[in-house]
Amino acid sequence: MRRPIHIWGGIAAILITTVVFIVPFLFIVVNAMKSSREAAMRSFAMPAVWRLWDNLVEVIQTRDYMVLTAFVNSTILTVASVTMLVIFGAMVGYVLQRRPSIWTGPANFLILAGLIIPPAVVPTIWLLQGLGLFKTLHGLILIEVAYGLSFSVLLFRAFIATIPRELDEAAIIDGAGPMRIFFGIILPLLRPVVVTVIVVQSVAIFNDFTNPLYYLPGNKNATVQLTLYNFLSQFNTSYNLLFTDILLITIPPLIVYIFFNRQIVAGLTAGAVKG
Amino acid sequence: MTLRTTRRVLIATAAGLALTTALSAPAYAEDVTLSYLVDNAPSTVAVAEQMIKDFEAANPGIKIELETRPGGGDGDNIVKTRLATGEMTDVFLYNSGSLFQAINPTQNLVDLSGEPWQADVLDSFKTVVTAPDGTVRGAPIGAAMGGGILYNIPIYKELGLSVPKSWAEFMANNDKIKAAGKAPVIQTFGATWTSQLFVLGDFFNVQASVPTFAADYTANKAKYASTPAAMKGFERQEEIFKAGDLNADFAAATFEEGATKVATGEGAHYPMLTFAVSTIQQLAPEHLNDVGFFAIPGDDAASNGLTVWMPAGLYIPETSKHQAEAKKFLAFAASIAGCDSQTAAGGATGPYLVKGCTLPKDVPPAVADLLPYFQQDGTTAPALEFVSPIKGPSLEQITVEVGSGIRSAADGAALYDEDVKKQAQQLGLPGW
Repeated sequence: MRRPIHIWGGIAAILITTVVFIVPFLFIVVNAMKSSREAAMRSFAMPAVWRLWDNLVEVIQTRDYMVLTAFVNSTILTVASVTMLVIFGAMVGYVLQRRPSIWTGPANFLILAGLIIPPAVVPTIWLLQGLGLFKTLHGLILIEVAYGLSFSVLLFRAFIATIPRELDEAAIIDGAGPMRIFFGIILPLLRPVVVTVIVVQSVAIFNDFTNPLYYLPGNKNATVQLTLYNFLSQFNTSYNLLFTDILLITIPPLIVYIFFNRQIVAGLTAGAVKG
Repeated sequence: MTLRTTRRVLIATAAGLALTTALSAPAYAEDVTLSYLVDNAPSTVAVAEQMIKDFEAANPGIKIELETRPGGGDGDNIVKTRLATGEMTDVFLYNSGSLFQAINPTQNLVDLSGEPWQADVLDSFKTVVTAPDGTVRGAPIGAAMGGGILYNIPIYKELGLSVPKSWAEFMANNDKIKAAGKAPVIQTFGATWTSQLFVLGDFFNVQASVPTFAADYTANKAKYASTPAAMKGFERQEEIFKAGDLNADFAAATFEEGATKVATGEGAHYPMLTFAVSTIQQLAPEHLNDVGFFAIPGDDAASNGLTVWMPAGLYIPETSKHQAEAKKFLAFAASIAGCDSQTAAGGATGPYLVKGCTLPKDVPPAVADLLPYFQQDGTTAPALEFVSPIKGPSLEQITVEVGSGIRSAADGAALYDEDVKKQAQQLGLPGW
């Protein structure tokens, strides 16, 4: 009796996944192959003339090869921000969990405030101007780290609570210093949550639109999401080029997922503590 | 000895330095790079690129770097943020009229009243880029647009219809078109901004019957809901819906679809601004000559006239470090060479606001239909958003509701009066 229910449940899950993820993706692919007139109708019909290659060339050449600059910028932005988030998030989480002191309360308050209080644009720009970081990629990296840090610290702290203190103590008895304990013992054990943070934050940062829009003006500073606005405007939109650009932008995360699929799934499901 | 040598060396170095700076100063002046921010509409970008090319050819030594920003609400935020933080480009393109007033021109923009080229700019444009202190702070770019109704010429010919001069004639035409099995009026509420034309484009008729409406409205003495002439726009939108004159997919269709429909004859009328001509040119070039234009008709056929949208302006922020060079670019934009450069890039979409600028002979019929209104006195009026700083942010949602029968015209007008109140209070207008 149970088996048919399982099968139907599985089929339903597959169907829902198809409708939610595959159908929109196919729509993007189909429309990326059309001419601007056909794409403006936004239908699922097959293109009369196949012109994916022409669209690709046009998208890449738009505004002096802006898409290529944008890919370089977005890659640097994502990799640098996520690296800093993982290292600093884990460090803060570790100290907060292991060493309660009078600073724990205020620190927790600041972390929660980082989650709750919405950031304001103009004061942030003033601060960046004062530091000489406005309109620079490192300035934006710091902003992304600041916006993502609270969430990462919460994840790390909760996970570190499940790692027994005895491990730290054993390491101290064996003569390990604080840095050695953190990088040699704790960080490797955090692998599952590190993978979670990497996946969640890199998707958020790679797809971020508003922060680059406000904090990183200028053609040389474009990130991939901003290139969409080359083809999408208030009164006039070239849907074929827009969908080609979306396709281009979707490919890198897809490739990363295909290659690191095993690590991601393993990381998310691996047992917390070994040995 | 050593002391003297040192001093001599010092003097020589100082002189040398002074000389180099003196020499390099003009070299610097020759190599100015201006930054120029425009919205990202393909037509704006194409025109900007062409103008930069022509300007750089005429002014060697000044380079212009183009930046784009999104249009609509996001664009407003970008412009305001960059002005507030002193990061605005040397020249930027932005709307004239009420949006221009909202960026605090007196404080943020360079005064251009004394520029010699202002003599060539039409007064009708100057009024929409004049700051509250009476100084002119912008140069015109682009062509004036008409807000009215695009119509399909083959349908009119086939059914033997003539261009309506009054609302009754327009509705009579609609009945005949419906009887012939076509959609009389196209609406495209998928792009909400397209829903506002019946209200905004009716302003010529409003000011024809209540000449003081704009001033009274700004002073909080007149309201849409309590002025019958102003209510007409909402009522007509309701009337069209109740008559069943709309295309079947009016609730979801987009602007691009609407433009294609009126060009290919799927529908007969599309209330729109004349800039839609450039969209038709892109999406259905072979039907460009099938689309004509007329102003939204009022009650009286004798006083038929057009509501005009002024083009955007070019402005220089106070924070610009290259104001002299930026002014040269504005002078170019406001010259006949500048108009020709725009026509070369984007085609002609309407009359320019610079004296002496001409349009090519082969303009599309919708643009040609626009010109007679400008050639005589008293048949054009600027849209309300150019004569009053108040334009409520939710009008497009309200007109969608009225236009799809969700809300009554009277209710919609009252709600819009309420919507406007917040904005007027933000602007600190007297009487609110």
